[in-house]
Amino acid sequence: MRTTFFVLFILMFSLFVVTLTSYTQEAPEVSERGKEVYEESCAHCHGIEGRGDGSAAENLLPRPRDFTGGVYKIRSTESGELPTDQDLFDIITNGMPGSSMPEWESALSADDRWELVAYIKTFYSGFQELKESETLPRLINLTGKVKYSQESVEIGKVLYTELGCIECHGNVGRGDGTSAPTLVDSWDYRTWPANLSQGWNYRGGSTTEDIFKRFIGGIAGSPMPAFEGDTFYHFGLTPEESKRAVELENKEEITPEDEAEYAKYSEKMENAIDAALDRAEGTELTPEAQKIYDDAMKVVYEKSWHLANYVKSLSPEKRPEYAIGNNVLRSQYKEGDLPTFDDAEWETLESSYYPLVGQVIVEPRQFNPTIDSVNVKSFYNDTEVAFLFTWDDRTNNTSVEETENFGQSFIDGLAIQFPVKVPKGPTDEKPYFLWGGRKPVYLWQWMASEPETIKELTAKGMSNAGLQEDQGNVQAESEYKEGQYRLWVKRALKTEDKKDLQIEPAVFVPIAFSAWDGANGDIDTKRAITSWYTFVLEPVPSSRRFIYPPLVALLSLGLLVGLRQFVQRKNT
Amino acid sequence: MKRVSLFTICFLIFIASWVFLKYVVGGLISVPIPNSVIAMYMALILIAILVHVSVEDTRFEEFIRPIHETLVDEKRSTRRVVLAVLIPILMLGYTYTNIAQKANPAGDPRVAHPVPPSEFILTHKDKEIGTMQEVENPYRHYEKDDPEEFKSHVENGRNVYYDNCFVCHGDHLDGKGHFAHGFQPLPANFQDPGIIPNFQESFFFWRISKGGPGLPNAGTPWNSAMPVWEEILTEEEIWDVILFLSHYTGYSYRSFGEGH
Repeated sequence: MRTTFFVLFILMFSLFVVTLTSYTQEAPEVSERGKEVYEESCAHCHGIEGRGDGSAAENLLPRPRDFTGGVYKIRSTESGELPTDQDLFDIITNGMPGSSMPEWESALSADDRWELVAYIKTFYSGFQELKESETLPRLINLTGKVKYSQESVEIGKVLYTELGCIECHGNVGRGDGTSAPTLVDSWDYRTWPANLSQGWNYRGGSTTEDIFKRFIGGIAGSPMPAFEGDTFYHFGLTPEESKRAVELENKEEITPEDEAEYAKYSEKMENAIDAALDRAEGTELTPEAQKIYDDAMKVVYEKSWHLANYVKSLSPEKRPEYAIGNNVLRSQYKEGDLPTFDDAEWETLESSYYPLVGQVIVEPRQFNPTIDSVNVKSFYNDTEVAFLFTWDDRTNNTSVEETENFGQSFIDGLAIQFPVKVPKGPTDEKPYFLWGGRKPVYLWQWMASEPETIKELTAKGMSNAGLQEDQGNVQAESEYKEGQYRLWVKRALKTEDKKDLQIEPAVFVPIAFSAWDGANGDIDTKRAITSWYTFVLEPVPSSRRFIYPPLVALLSLGLLVGLRQFVQRKNT
Repeated sequence: MKRVSLFTICFLIFIASWVFLKYVVGGLISVPIPNSVIAMYMALILIAILVHVSVEDTRFEEFIRPIHETLVDEKRSTRRVVLAVLIPILMLGYTYTNIAQKANPAGDPRVAHPVPPSEFILTHKDKEIGTMQEVENPYRHYEKDDPEEFKSHVENGRNVYYDNCFVCHGDHLDGKGHFAHGFQPLPANFQDPGIIPNFQESFFFWRISKGGPGLPNAGTPWNSAMPVWEEILTEEEIWDVILFLSHYTGYSYRSFGEGH
C-alpha cells in the first residue's frame, strides 16, 4: 500500500515538473543549426537578413514579417513589449491562419523550431538588450476572465460601438468600416481590418483568450491599437463615471455644477493617460500614479473580456464544411411561386459554402484575394429555379475610381459558371474549370454597377468570353449591406436559347464561381475563383417510399408463416 | 450451466466478423472498406459456416434444432411472436431508408498520374527538346561537375518555387499551400514517397510545362488547376525548380532504364 502511494506521488510530482518546465520554455543559445533551418525554410519569404524581403514577399499580403524592427503582431505580452520565446515558438508551430504563414509543426522538429526562435531573435538587438537587463517582458494578465454569456455579449456589443471598433470592423464585424479602405501598416503596405465573422482567419487564433490578448497587447505594426491610455475610450473612468460623462456630454443646458463634475472626469482621464504614457516610456511611477494606472487598467481588462465575448459571438465556431463530395448544393422543390429576394423563407435553408482562392493560373494573377467564400441557397418549382448568393466584401465598389494611395479600384462582381451541356457521367469531358476551353461554359455575370442585371455569357476561356445575343432570361436583385452582398437570381429551367444550360431535376450539374473585389484591384483575370463543384435540383422524395416498405414487411411476415407451416407439415 | 448452442455460436461469429471488417480493419487499422467488399467477405464467411455445420448430419441437426424449435415448438411461442414482429419491422426500416436515400454525385474517376502518350516529344512553347524517354535535366550534371553552379540552379529553383508554386503545393512541398483547399484534385504532395522517386525529371518537365490542360482525358484536364507554366516560366526555370524539388525533399527522381 505504502509503495503504491509513493509511486503515485513520484509520478504526480514529475508530471508537475514537466508541465512547469514546458510552460516556461525558452529558446536555446543561437547556433549554426538555427541559421541553416532559417535559410532553408524561412528566407525565401522573410529574407536572408530577416527584413521581410524574400523573393516571394512581393506576392504576399499580409507581407512576411520584417524581423529587424522587433515588431510582432501576435504576443502574450503587453503593449510595447517584445514577444516571449514561447510566443515566437507558437507562431512558428501553428502558423497564421488567413495569411501565407503555414504551420511548421509537421515539417520541423520542436528542437529545430526552438533553434529558429533563437536565430530570429538575433535580427533585432532589443532581444539581447532585454536579456542583458535581466528583465522579462510584461505578460498580459489573463485572470478575471468573464465567462461567455448572452449578458456579457450584450455588454460587449455596446463597447464595440463605444470604443470605435465599428470604424474599421463595421457594424456587424465584417471588416467594412468607413476607414477600412484607407488602412496601411507600419511599413505603408495596405492592410484590411479583420472580418470578425470569419474566426478561422484570425491570425492569432480565435479563442476568447486569443481575442483578449489582441485587445490588451494590440496588434503591433497594424492599425489595431492596444487598449491603453488615449486609445481607450474614457480611460481612467469607472463604467458609472463613463456613463455619467456621456450624459453630461449630451446634455443641452449645462449648469456650473455639471461643468465642475465634467472637469473632474476630464482630470481623472488626463491623469490616467499620463500615467500610461510614463509607464510606456519606462518611467518609474509614483505610488499614486501606479494606483491610478492600475485602477484604469482594471476597467480596461473587464471591458475587454466582455468585448472578447462579443467578438467571439460574431463568428461560427468552425469554418463551414465545404460543398464537396455528397455535401453538394441541393436545390429544394417548392410548389407555386419561388421566394423573392426579401422572402423570409430563405432563412429555412442551410447555405452551401464554397471557399474561394486566388486566380494564380493565368496572368495577371491574384495572389492575395480578399473574398473568402460564396454561400449559396436554392429553390426550384416546376418551371423555374431561384438562387440566393451571399458573399462578404469589405467595400461596395460600383465604378472604376482613382484612390488616394492604392491606384485604381475597380467594380465588384460575381460570375456563376455552368457547362452549356451537362456531362453524361464522371468520365465525360467537362469544360475547363476556368471559364471553359475546348468546350464552352455558360455564365451569369453580375456587376455591382448594375445591381439588378445578370448578363449571360458564353466562354471558351477567360480571354474568349462573349455576351450572348439573347439576353434578359435571368432576373436578378441584389443588395450591399454591412460588408455583405446578397444576390438573388431566377431563371426558367428550360429556355429556347441553345447556348444556355437546360436544367432538369435529379441531374448533377457542375457549377463554379468567380468573384471580384474591386478595391483589391480585381478586374478581368485578377479575381478569386473556385474549381468545379456540383448542384442538383433535389428530386421530390418518391411516393414509392410509402408503398414498397410495407409490402416488403408483409412479404417477410408471410415467408415466416409459410416456413412454419412447411416445417409443421413435414413433422406430421 | 447450459451449453451455448451451435447456432448461437455461428450467429455470433457472423456478427463479429462483420464488426471486425467494418470497424476494426476498416477503421482502426486501415481506411473504411467499401460496403460491397464487406458483403463479399460476409458471403464467404456465411458459406464457410454452412459448410462447417453441414459436413456431419449430427452437427447439422444440432445447428437447425434452435431454428426448428423457434418455428414450431409450443414452449417457444414468445420468441416466435417477438421474431414475427421484429423481422418485418427491420425489413420495413431497411427498405424505407434505401428508397428515401438522397442520390449522391458520382465520384471522381481521375487517374492521378496519367501516362503521357508514348514516343512523346517534350516541348517548351513550340521549341522541341527531345523525346520524353531521352531528355535529361541539362543542369543535373553540375551536381558532380560543378557543385557551386549546381547550388545556384537549386537556389534559382527555390525562388521560382516560392514565387509561383508554394501557394498551392505548400511551404513544405506537402501539397498543403494556403490555396490548396480551393482546388479539386488537391495539389501534388512532393513529400509523398510515391511521387518523386516514381517519375523521371522529363515527366515532371512535361507536367509543369503543359499543366492541367495538357493532361490526357484520364487525368481530367478540365479539373486540374495546374497552370500551363511554359506560358510564364522559361525552360531553365522549369529545370531549376525540378532540381529544387528533389533537393528540398531529399528524394531522387527515377533514372532512365529503371523498372521498365
